[in-house]
Amino acid sequence: MTAQGKYRVLVVDDDASVLVTYRLILEQEGYEVAACGTSREAIAAVEKKNFDAILCDYSLEEQHTGFEVISAARKRNPDVPAALLTGYATNETADEAEAQGIGIMFKPIEIEEFLATTSKMLRRDNEPKQENGKENDSTQPQGGGQGRQQRGNGGVGRRRTAGGPAKS
Amino acid sequence: MATAEVRFPEERINGRRASAERRPAILRLLEAERSEEIFPLLLEEILALGYPRALAVDVNFDTGDITPAAALKWPRQQLEKFSTALWVSEHQLVGVLHSTQPAILNKTTIHNRPIYVHPIYYSNRSLCWEADRIRTGSCLAVQNFRKEKRIRLEEQVCPTCDMRAYAAAVIVELPKQSAAQGIVEHAELAELIELANRYLSRLFKVEHYYNRMRDMEITIAQMGTVMQSMADPVILTDTQHRVIMQNKAAERFFKVPDEMTEGLVRAVELNNLLFSAALSSMLVSGTDAHRDLTLVDAIEGEEMLFEAVSAPTYGPDGIQIGTVTVMRDVTDLRRADQELRANYDKLREAEEVVRQDRDRLNLIIENVGDPIVVCDSESKIVLVDPLAQELFGTSAETARDTAQFQNLTRLNTYVGSFTYSFAERETAPLKLISPSLKQEIEYDARSGKIFDERGEVAYTVTVLRDLTALRKVEQLKVERRMLEIEKFAATGRLAATIAHEVNNPMEAIKNAIYLLAGAVPENAVPVYNILKSETERVARIVRQMLGLYRNTEQVKPVNVNTIIEDTLLLLNRQLQRVNVEIKTDLRTLPDAVIAADQMRQVFSNLVINAKDAMSKGGKLIIRSRHIPGRDDLHGWVRILIADTGTGIPPEMSRTIFEPFVTTKGEKGTGLGLWIVRGIIQNHAGKLSVRSKLGQGTVFRIDLPVMKL
Repeated sequence: MTAQGKYRVLVVDDDASVLVTYRLILEQEGYEVAACGTSREAIAAVEKKNFDAILCDYSLEEQHTGFEVISAARKRNPDVPAALLTGYATNETADEAEAQGIGIMFKPIEIEEFLATTSKMLRRDNEPKQENGKENDSTQPQGGGQGRQQRGNGGVGRRRTAGGPAKS
Repeated sequence: MATAEVRFPEERINGRRASAERRPAILRLLEAERSEEIFPLLLEEILALGYPRALAVDVNFDTGDITPAAALKWPRQQLEKFSTALWVSEHQLVGVLHSTQPAILNKTTIHNRPIYVHPIYYSNRSLCWEADRIRTGSCLAVQNFRKEKRIRLEEQVCPTCDMRAYAAAVIVELPKQSAAQGIVEHAELAELIELANRYLSRLFKVEHYYNRMRDMEITIAQMGTVMQSMADPVILTDTQHRVIMQNKAAERFFKVPDEMTEGLVRAVELNNLLFSAALSSMLVSGTDAHRDLTLVDAIEGEEMLFEAVSAPTYGPDGIQIGTVTVMRDVTDLRRADQELRANYDKLREAEEVVRQDRDRLNLIIENVGDPIVVCDSESKIVLVDPLAQELFGTSAETARDTAQFQNLTRLNTYVGSFTYSFAERETAPLKLISPSLKQEIEYDARSGKIFDERGEVAYTVTVLRDLTALRKVEQLKVERRMLEIEKFAATGRLAATIAHEVNNPMEAIKNAIYLLAGAVPENAVPVYNILKSETERVARIVRQMLGLYRNTEQVKPVNVNTIIEDTLLLLNRQLQRVNVEIKTDLRTLPDAVIAADQMRQVFSNLVINAKDAMSKGGKLIIRSRHIPGRDDLHGWVRILIADTGTGIPPEMSRTIFEPFVTTKGEKGTGLGLWIVRGIIQNHAGKLSVRSKLGQGTVFRIDLPVMKL
């Protein structure tokens, strides 16, 4: 969360055009967005700053994966909600993501879904925070929230990201 | 003539003399009841005429002996001289007998006084009854009376009545004073003797008839016994087919039994009717006719088959007086005959079947395309097909080359061990050398035993399959499948690669369009909308290319029953075509949050699998149930899809959900169940299968539901 009370979201994608559009969309939603084109850049960013959510492309430059970025972020903040954005994921990838509590969104992503998922991730992360009045040190991620999100269908987003095991 | 013993009735005669008056000789002779009484009476009358003594001799035609039959006042010791025989022609008595004329013998060696000898023969003035009835003149009695021919003593048998006649002589001693007198002087004596002879002839004839009657009675009794003792029915009928006589065996069928029941009476009536009908038809068709006749045994009530043989009987006048019918029981015979015929037919049929089987078998053996060897219990080759002949040579020892010798040794070892093993069949690898290729080939030897009736091995049959060829084919198949899989995978990879490459730019375009949403001038909105919708379409295509079933369809609450019904509606005709009966048992279900299209794919894959497993028809049962969870919030929708088809082999049950595993051979892609499992798993559902080979398969799908 920024000083202005905005959520800070990290978006990582090796495709510059995609990255730009993600950043613009998220900014349009009122988030503070950090956009990184490589894993190296992204890892450097998460080591410097806390983020409220991480949206990361799975396949990055030179065989690097989104897992590396998320792992790095979780070194600093173990509870940071994260989702992989991918065009194609094997069973192993999906299983691993599920095991680590990472959501998966398959490209092409419906923008409604994209936004709903993001906002839900943030809300889930925020709930204990609102109660405790603390930042980024919430307990283990719980199940999906119950409240209504400002956009999109929360139910679907939850299934996609957290619930159903992704299958290629 | 019943004059076996000589009678000397002197005493009686003396006694009678006391009576003062004598009745005339005619009447006295008439008193004789029997032929043997004639001579004593005659002799008495002769003495009454004043002759001193008289004697009667009798000829026995059987022996030719002439012996005294009766004597009066004749000294006993002198009688011997009158015992002689017909062939003693020098005997003066015999001469007189042959001459048939009465004679006076004066000085003879047989008697010291002159004697009058009067031969008498069976003779009569008129024909006897028998000769009279058949109107023939050849009656011996008449012939003798008329003396038409010279009487021959050897021929004294009547040609008409077959009666043996008699010959005798009355010998009378002449008083001394009349010795010189001629024969004429003794006319009264001659007349008396002739009279007595007439009576004698008559009595003789009567006695003959009586004897004949007695003989006939005996014969009749004997014939009756013979007839009764015959086991076959014998019936004598008159010309009107009325039964004159029948034996006991016949009575069984034609006589109304003592304890009458209506049925039996009817049976007897029917038998009689049938019998007289048969007789009539036999009479029409000829004399030695025979007929088959089915009669009912009046006692046992059984139906019996007879062969009736009839012969006409004729009276002495040659006119038919009736018919004798002998019936032979041929029931058993016919039955045996029929059985024999039936058995023969059966045998021929069986033979035909065997022949056809053998032909078929030969055809099969010729066309098997694998070498076949039949060995006897000593592992010696009995029969080979042309292919086996190539491997082992002909049965002639000469034609074998080294390879064939080696093969034969290996075969003997293998067959020998199989013959003495306990297994009825065996499959084992057998390496043989191909005589043409000069290289070793591995065969799959499949052997079976043929047992004889004692249960011992009579023959073994071994079919050799060239495994190299089989393996080559198998390998080819595997290679082809691998190639298919590779191709499929490559296609998939290519599609994925393209999709992946397109995906990012597309993502950027899509996002960009989204970002432009508010900044589009009024007049450009339609164009913007086209841009947006077409981009979404491209996005959908890319999604399909990226995942086999990951499409853009939104998951939403759906009633699974409607999906099942939709699927069945779609496949109904296909199922009916192979005679699959559909049974559904769908209960009220809570909506499940699912992708309807994917679930449709699941059901249609499973139903098509079921259909393919029931190519000869069967039942498809689909059942749906709501299974509430323990917390009243969660729960399951359970769907069972069952078929009565061929089932899944146990060894495949672990792998059926793997890609490219199929039970349908070339027909299947091996992807159906794999996709099903993927979809169900993607819906966080559960999929399981139970199957029994030959009985059917049940798939169970559990989909999670949540109370909203």
